Amino acid sequence: MMLSYILLSGVTTGALYALVALGIVIVNKATGVINFAQGELFMFSGFLAWALHVQFGIGYPLTLVLAIAGGFLLGVMTDRIAFQPLKNVDVVSLVLATVGIAFILRGVARVIWGGKGDYLTFPPITSPEPIMIGEIMIIPQQLAVLAGAVLIMALFWLFFRYTRAGKMMQATADNAKAATLVGIRTDRIYALAFGTGTAVAAAAAVLAAPLTLLYPDMGFSFFIKGFAAAVLGGLTSLPGAILGGLLVGIAEALAGGYIASSLMEVSGFVVIMLVLVIMPSGLLGARRLRRV
Amino acid sequence: MSRLSIRALCVASVGLACLSPALAQAPGVSATSIKIGTFGALTGPGYLYGKLPMNGVEVVFDEINKAGGIHGRKLELVREDDRCDPASAIGATQKLISQDKVFAIVGGGCSNPTLAARETIEKAGTPFVVFASVHDGITTPPAKNIFSVATTSTIESQAQVQFALSEGAKKIAVVSMRDAWGRARYTPLMETLKAKGVKIVADEEMTPDSNDATAQVLRLKQAGADAILMVLYPKPAAIFARDANKLAFRPLLIGQTGIADPAAFEDQVGVPGATAKFRTISMVRYTPEDPAVEKWRKAIETKFPGDRLSVYNQFGIGAAQVLAEAIRRAGPDLTQEKVVAALAGLKDFNVDVYPGPISCSETDHRCHKSPNWIMKEPGGPVKVLGATRVE
Repeated sequence: MMLSYILLSGVTTGALYALVALGIVIVNKATGVINFAQGELFMFSGFLAWALHVQFGIGYPLTLVLAIAGGFLLGVMTDRIAFQPLKNVDVVSLVLATVGIAFILRGVARVIWGGKGDYLTFPPITSPEPIMIGEIMIIPQQLAVLAGAVLIMALFWLFFRYTRAGKMMQATADNAKAATLVGIRTDRIYALAFGTGTAVAAAAAVLAAPLTLLYPDMGFSFFIKGFAAAVLGGLTSLPGAILGGLLVGIAEALAGGYIASSLMEVSGFVVIMLVLVIMPSGLLGARRLRRV
Repeated sequence: MSRLSIRALCVASVGLACLSPALAQAPGVSATSIKIGTFGALTGPGYLYGKLPMNGVEVVFDEINKAGGIHGRKLELVREDDRCDPASAIGATQKLISQDKVFAIVGGGCSNPTLAARETIEKAGTPFVVFASVHDGITTPPAKNIFSVATTSTIESQAQVQFALSEGAKKIAVVSMRDAWGRARYTPLMETLKAKGVKIVADEEMTPDSNDATAQVLRLKQAGADAILMVLYPKPAAIFARDANKLAFRPLLIGQTGIADPAAFEDQVGVPGATAKFRTISMVRYTPEDPAVEKWRKAIETKFPGDRLSVYNQFGIGAAQVLAEAIRRAGPDLTQEKVVAALAGLKDFNVDVYPGPISCSETDHRCHKSPNWIMKEPGGPVKVLGATRVE
């Protein structure tokens, strides 16, 4: 029975890492830049959801939709402020610009929400009480988060697979110059990528909020886990990001449950090191071919 | 004024200065005022342990000043923000000592910044009363001029073990953070357990950013723990309490001053009943609602409109009363050495807010050894359970 609890816990946490990783990969695929503000965009969206749900009393489903919309706008703003003006300079400047955005968001969150207590609580979205079905304990909260994460992943998969915007994003990611030649306005695609990446982060934040607590410095730890998951998956692969997130979450839970809780934090990174030693491009990353 | 009287006044002034070397030498002291410095977080998440105790200090100083000051001198408070950051704390204390020339300091919110500032304050010889920082290294080994009226981490660890045993716990376990803050408590906790011959049934770890405690809870549940000593910040502690409740594991949860407010903790956990068996340490005797602190509640609410009296304000109230008493005992010819001697000589001194008397000595500058136990009935008020005396 312990294994089932641990696996459910690992998959739930892993699904959240996967959503953060998805956001990182979406931006990286389209722009070639790692958005170091992804964690803070996640945090800011979480606070936005808290304000909507707790302060303004808006229902959880509508809060989720509004937070995703708010996240999208935040992402577009990040593109306009930190990416578009610098897109023709070197990558280091672009990365530093996203780091700057991260610090600004953290500072603004501290000013707005920092003085309201140590940590802010997001009410549970289902009954916090476990349900017993025979000997098996079902935890509705975790199941709801997991279902939400799966639904959001499916929606984004449909977006990339079947919508024109999604296809244009993929085309730009594959070859930006060729995309321009066929009439795709890559500037808009970059904005769309930042917006979509942050919208995914916002969805992750709203799902994570009832499981964790909100505080202005929470973004970095989620970013690190999401980034690790993205690297594990191959950094440019959307299914890889999901797989990476789930593996990191499950590795943490299994190590904590069966070896020692002190190994929880490092276990995910140990898995990544092992995978990268064997598969340097990540689990589902594009293989680099050297022609001789 | 005639030329003769001006000359007489000058001679008298010079004579007074010569007759009273203490007045001429003691920094921050004039005939009418004593400048006291304070540092801690005024901004950022650590403001609870900085700004709020400072507000407590200020209302005590106001009360003393209204009554005419100490030996005719009014107390002036100079605030510096350390943002809970060690480098900023060193800068803040250097400014207080060198630029503002304060006579004494009452402050220290977050532990690591206060520990970092220890050397600066020790070298300057400025009397320093710590109001909130609990790290043992601030007062152990003792610096001649530094005294703490916060319960230090060793004292709290000892109290946690004593409390668990007094509650009849048979299978004690530990869940802790192992960062600098956690280590400062975890190490003395393990030493105390060993000294008392208690063998723990499990020893689990969490990080300040932990978002899930399922693995830890399951291991503790498997070990059959009936009391958990928590060396955790409120965030991981809330995650732990929430997950324990989720997995129907309800042992006695024993906290420390890192989780000093059971009402806020109940809100953070956010699950009705999950904190029913949570007990924690308060440095102060009274809950903010207690009629015994009505005077201070009014003072805080009048001076800082919008604020409500909190336990953190009371940290400052107690520390300010201790420092004021030492200045009073040092007499009208005030020197820093006399105040340090007065602090070292405090024995069984009762202040308005602490559970037990304050006693310092030349060799032990941890002056507060009576941690108070508090709890909150689900949905009800915070209750005081009584103090544990630690030697």
